[in-house]
Amino acid sequence: MSSDARQKLFFREAIIRALREEMDRNERIIVLGQDVAEFGGSYREFEGLFERFGRARVRNTPVAESAMIGLGVGAAAAGLRALVTITYMDFLMLGLDPLVNYAAKARYKTGGQIEVPLVVKTTAGAKGQGVAHSQCIEAWLMAVPGLKVVVPATPADAYGLLKSALRERGPVVYVDHKRLFPTAGEVPNEETLIPLGEAAIRRCGSDVTIATFSFMTRIAERSAERLAAEGISCEIVDLRSLAPLDMATVCGSAGRTGALLTLEEGQLSCGVGAEVIFRARESLANLRTARIGALPAPVSSNPILEAACIPDVERVTDAVRGLLASR
Amino acid sequence: MDRIELLRAMLLIRAFEAALMRRSDHGFQLLSEGQEAVAVGLCSVLGERDQLLTSGRSIAPALARGLEPGAVMAELLGKTAGPCRGKGGRGHLAQRSAGFFGAHAVVAGNLSIAAGVALAAQLQEPGTIVACLFGDGACGAGALHETLNIAALWKLPLLLVCDNNGYSVSTPRSEALAPKSLSDLAGPFGIPARTVDGMDVAAVRDAARELAERSRTGAGPVFLECLSERFASHSTAVRETRSAAEMQAIRKRCPISRLADNLEAEGGLSASARKQLEEEVRRAIAAAVRFAEAAPYPDPSEAVSDVV
Amino acid sequence: MIYKLVVPGPIEDVEEVRVLEWHGASGRAFEAGDLIVELETYKAIVEVRAAQHGILRALLCAAGEWQKVGLPLAVMSDDGAEALPDSLAAVAELPVEFEVS
Repeated sequence: MSSDARQKLFFREAIIRALREEMDRNERIIVLGQDVAEFGGSYREFEGLFERFGRARVRNTPVAESAMIGLGVGAAAAGLRALVTITYMDFLMLGLDPLVNYAAKARYKTGGQIEVPLVVKTTAGAKGQGVAHSQCIEAWLMAVPGLKVVVPATPADAYGLLKSALRERGPVVYVDHKRLFPTAGEVPNEETLIPLGEAAIRRCGSDVTIATFSFMTRIAERSAERLAAEGISCEIVDLRSLAPLDMATVCGSAGRTGALLTLEEGQLSCGVGAEVIFRARESLANLRTARIGALPAPVSSNPILEAACIPDVERVTDAVRGLLASR
Repeated sequence: MDRIELLRAMLLIRAFEAALMRRSDHGFQLLSEGQEAVAVGLCSVLGERDQLLTSGRSIAPALARGLEPGAVMAELLGKTAGPCRGKGGRGHLAQRSAGFFGAHAVVAGNLSIAAGVALAAQLQEPGTIVACLFGDGACGAGALHETLNIAALWKLPLLLVCDNNGYSVSTPRSEALAPKSLSDLAGPFGIPARTVDGMDVAAVRDAARELAERSRTGAGPVFLECLSERFASHSTAVRETRSAAEMQAIRKRCPISRLADNLEAEGGLSASARKQLEEEVRRAIAAAVRFAEAAPYPDPSEAVSDVV
Repeated sequence: MIYKLVVPGPIEDVEEVRVLEWHGASGRAFEAGDLIVELETYKAIVEVRAAQHGILRALLCAAGEWQKVGLPLAVMSDDGAEALPDSLAAVAELPVEFEVS
C-alpha cells in the first residue's frame, strides 16, 4: 500500500538520502574518500553524513586511490560494508588492481569463503576539465566477471540504485556523471530500491529505440523532442545497469521498432553499444543498428574540441534519420 | 610455542614442499625452502582471532598457521577438498576460519587489503591484529608506501612482515631498492620497525611477539624485516641464477638444521627424538598426499560458480 | 509600477533553483541592498537583494518550492495599494543584485 508522494531533490541530495538511510539501517557501512567528512564531498554529495555518523564511519583519506580501494576491499571482506568514493572516474584506474584483481575475484578464488560487499562510487564525464578528468570507461568495467556496474541518469535512480548497491553481496561500481549534478528530479518519499539489472523506458515510441545511459539519456530526450516535431517517434531505453545488462527490455523495444541506436559518451571501440548491439542481434533478425559515442580521441578541456568530441543533439538526430533511411 | 614445536613446524613445511616437488603434477609453485623460520616464527605469535595475509609464497605460512597439510595439498592439486575448492591454488590459498585470510598473487597486492582487514579488526575486534607477509620485491611498490601512510594515520593494528630473501626473482635487492635497510621504510611514517635474522626462528618469534603486542594495544602498525635466504629459484617457472658454490654456502645457513643442532647441543633434543620427529612429519605428509590424491576434482561447471 | 521578482541569472550550469528562505512576508518594503530571498542551486546559495525600493505583494513560490531561471518568484510593486494584474506577461522585472556563495 505505497503512496505515490514524491519530492523534488537535487541529484546530490538523492545520493545523501540513500546513504543516510542505508547507514542508519546498517551500522557497518563506512564511507572512505577524499574530502568526504567536514567538506561533504566535491559535489556536496556527502553533506551531513559526517555530522550524523561521525569520524569512524565517514573518513577522509589521503590522495591514494589504490590504497583507498584496497582498504575498502579489505574492510568489506572482513565484515564491514564499504563505500569508497573516487571523485573522478579517470583516477579509478589507479585502483583497478584491488578492484579487479581482488574484489571481483575474491569469492571465486576463495571458493566462496570471502565476499566483498563494496561499492566504488565514481563520477564520469566531460565538463571542461581536460583529458585526464573527462573519461567514461564504464565499458572496461562491465567486462570484468565478478563486478556489477550501475549508471543512474536521474536523482530517483541515483537514490534507488545506490541503496540496492549497498545491499549487494559483492562489489558494485556506481557511476554517475558531472553533468547530472546540476539536475533535479522527483524521488519517491517512501523508501524505494531499484533492482540492479533493470532498464527503464524513459519515453515510449514506435520508430526507433535509443538505448543509452547516464548523462546521454538527457541528450537522447532532447533529441527525441526535436525528432517528434519531424514526425519521428523515439523510444528511449535508459539502461541504468551495465552489468548485469537488461537485454530483455532492449530487445523488447527493438523488436517492436526494428531500429536500434546506442548512445554513450564513452568510446565506441569495445564500448557499451558494441555489446548491446551484438547481443540484440543474437536475438533479433532484421534489426537496423547504429552506435554513437565519443570521437576516438582524448577529450580536451578546450570547449570547441570537447564539444566536437562528445555526442550532442545534432549528431544523435542525424544518426536517427540516417538509421531510418537505411535498409 | 616451544622450540620443539617450532622445529616440528619447520620440518613439516620442508617435507611438504619436498613431497610436492617429487610429483610431476606439482604445478606453478613458489617454495619457501630456507624461509621456513620466518613463517613459523611469525605464526607462533598470532592468536586464534588474528588474521594473516600473504603474498604468493603461501605454502609455508599456511602450514605454519595451522592449516591441515592434506587440505593444503588438495588445494595445490586442484581438488575440491582444498579450502578454496581447488579454485585458488597456491597463489590465492585461504582459510579464513583458521585465521589465514589468504594469499594474493599480485606482488604488493595484499598490503592495502590487509590494512582494510585491520580497519575492520580495529572497529569490530579490538585487541586482535592483522599480519601481512610480503617479500622485498614488494617494497618498491607504491602500495607499500600508501599502506604505511594510512596505517600510521589511522593507527591500524597491522603487523607488516617483510621476508627479505635478497631477490626479486633474479634482481638482487641492491639493484631494486635504495634504502640501506628495508625497515628504514617505516621510520618516515613514525612506525616502529626492527630487522632480525630470518634464519633464526626464535629471533623472529621474539621480535614478532614484541611488535605484535605493541600493535595489539592500539598503538598502531609495526614493521618487521626478516633477513632470509631463498634456497631454490624464485619459482618453478624460472631458473636459478646463483652459482652452485653460492648455493652451497647459502644452504649451510639452514634454519632447521640450526635449531635442531642447537637443541641437540643443549640437550633439549636427543638424536633419537629428532629422528622420531622427522618420522612423524614424514607420516603426516604421506597421509596428506594420500588424502589429496583421493579427493575429487571439481565439476567443470564450477568454472562459472561463485563469480558474481 | 508592478514588478515581478524572477530567479536571477545566468548562473553557470543552473537551470532551476529551490527557494530556501524568504526574508519578509507580503507587505514588507525592501530598499536597495536588502536581502529579499535566498535560493538554493545544486551547489550554492544565491542571495537576491533588491537594487531599488519595492514592496512584496505576493509570493508565487513558497520556501521548498522550485522555479526555473528567469521565471517569477514573487510580485512586487512601488506602492502597496497598486492593483495586481491578472497576468505577469507584460510586467517588468524588478532590478536585483545577486551573489552566489
